[in-house]
Amino acid sequence: MSALPRWVGLPVGAVVAVGALTGVQVANGGGTYEPLRPADACVERPVTSRADGIDGLTERLVLLGLADAACQLGASREALTLELAQTGGRTNAEVDAVRQGLLSAVRQMKAEGSLPPASDLVDEALATADLNGLLKRVILALPDSVVDSALKTDDVLVRAIDDLDLRALLSDPDDQRRLEQQVEVAVTQAVKDSLVARLRGLP
Amino acid sequence: MRRAVAPLLAVTVAMVLADSAVVTLALPDILRSLDASVGQVAWVLIAYNLVLGLAAVPAATTLSRVQPRMFSAVGIAVFAGSSVWCATADSIEVLIAARCLQAVGGALSLVACLEQLVEEQGERRGLATWVTAGVIGTAAGPVVGGLLTQAISWQAIFVVQVPLAVLAVPAALSVASVPPADWERHRPAVRANVTLALMSAALTAALFLLVLLLVEGWGRSPAAAAVTVSVVPVAALAARPLAHLLRPPPEVEVAVGCFLVAGGLLGLAIPPSANLAWTVAPQALVGLGLGLTVDRLTSHAIGMRLPRARHAGWTIGARHLGVVLGLAVLTPVFTADLRDAQVPAQEAITALVLDAPLPPQDKIAVAQALGRELATQQGQVPDLHRAFSTLDLDPEDRPAAARLQSDLDEQLKRAATWAFRDSFIIGAGIALLAMLTLVRPPRRTS
Repeated sequence: MSALPRWVGLPVGAVVAVGALTGVQVANGGGTYEPLRPADACVERPVTSRADGIDGLTERLVLLGLADAACQLGASREALTLELAQTGGRTNAEVDAVRQGLLSAVRQMKAEGSLPPASDLVDEALATADLNGLLKRVILALPDSVVDSALKTDDVLVRAIDDLDLRALLSDPDDQRRLEQQVEVAVTQAVKDSLVARLRGLP
Repeated sequence: MRRAVAPLLAVTVAMVLADSAVVTLALPDILRSLDASVGQVAWVLIAYNLVLGLAAVPAATTLSRVQPRMFSAVGIAVFAGSSVWCATADSIEVLIAARCLQAVGGALSLVACLEQLVEEQGERRGLATWVTAGVIGTAAGPVVGGLLTQAISWQAIFVVQVPLAVLAVPAALSVASVPPADWERHRPAVRANVTLALMSAALTAALFLLVLLLVEGWGRSPAAAAVTVSVVPVAALAARPLAHLLRPPPEVEVAVGCFLVAGGLLGLAIPPSANLAWTVAPQALVGLGLGLTVDRLTSHAIGMRLPRARHAGWTIGARHLGVVLGLAVLTPVFTADLRDAQVPAQEAITALVLDAPLPPQDKIAVAQALGRELATQQGQVPDLHRAFSTLDLDPEDRPAAARLQSDLDEQLKRAATWAFRDSFIIGAGIALLAMLTLVRPPRRTS
């Protein structure tokens, strides 16, 4: 039996080298080194906030609402966020989905018990509210139990979301001041409506 | 002076062939400096290779009618003069025109230097010197260009060539030789030249796209990228001793070279992370493949064939038109893939920002800074550091912001790597196609 020629080592070595390289790379995650894929918007995910009070509540509401809206539209939460970040007109489907998403977020947070009572938000809300000073002091003097029985956070939020002109709000997301003004007007009106409704409901 | 003649002619050959890829790492600087578009700046590469590829055979044909030393000296002088023109170009159009002229000078000097090296060193050694200088120049071009761009400027790439070329002119004039005989004609080595063209197209992926991935995709400096891609020329130098040790038949050597380039490009297509270390082994395979194929095929296409200069012209033409073919095939693929990668990259970044453990106002500030950065980058990878440095964060939020920046940076690297994957795989496919050209059809028997 004649010995193999020495040059056979070259193709054999090449096949071994290429095989070993590919194997080591694939074993270490080669081939899957890709951008993070957005999670399915319809699958529930934990939503937290580093902020307290109204900011924290708003952030959680918006994140839950966005995910729900994206789920309704068949998009990812990230794709919808990027779409809404662009200035321009919104379709009816988008406006409806965002409104329903926010309302769904309120229901979800109420069911989880993660909605703060109104008394937790009053001090912060009054600090920025355009109200008479005497009236502010009177409201601040009310016991928490009175505030909480007069105002239900979920009721105020639902009324505010229904009142909001989302089409105008979403058409120019870069206009932070206009956005804050619209939200403040809607929340103030929602508080008034909620109080009136409570008074009408009294025996 | 006599002893310096052959080295100076070899340096000229290396320099002309290095210019094929020397500006790769300088392209982003050229784009900014001359206010050019990505499409225009690609022509700084394409124009040189196209003109060199087209001018090589006519230059070799003309050589048979004139003194090689005059031909060589004129070629080197044109190359040097147009290098000065490149360095002083104040618009992309002027730079492209200067690169065309530089390629004409390069084509003249390449074919004439071959005749002069053979005159100086004899057929076998002269051809070996010419081929080796070409391989080293081709592989080292991006490295040298990257280091010069980082250390000085993109103009320095062209300026440093001038004194070397100026020294080479008297060296070329000192070699007395007669015009090569035109009466004996061998047929061009079609198969070897086609294989060379396909291998050059495949190597485009390694020599051009890898440096773009390192600099533009992974955010490495041109110098770091240059040092990284130096693995290719080092491995190419190791190929000859390996072939000498194992003494394979020529077809086996070339087939193995093609296979190694394909395997190396496949490795570059699937790195497990953006760590530079993952590019070393694939590049070593590409370098070994380059050394085994280009050297052997060039020698086969030119050696013992007359007129020698004309066969060198065919070889130069095949190699550089192969580079143009590679650029023509790969550039649209990777630019389209880069565009397609923007959406997944933006979505990944959005997910990370939305879920970042930062106060909502900071998240909004990050999103706005990233938006501004994207708007000013005109489709290029955004500079995250600049976006984050504009933020006014509480000290307690800075660690979370730094983690977010690092995570976003990782997503951009993932997107860029993903965008280059198809181009590397296509490059690997072209290398395998080159291997197929070695398969000889069975002869018909009557």
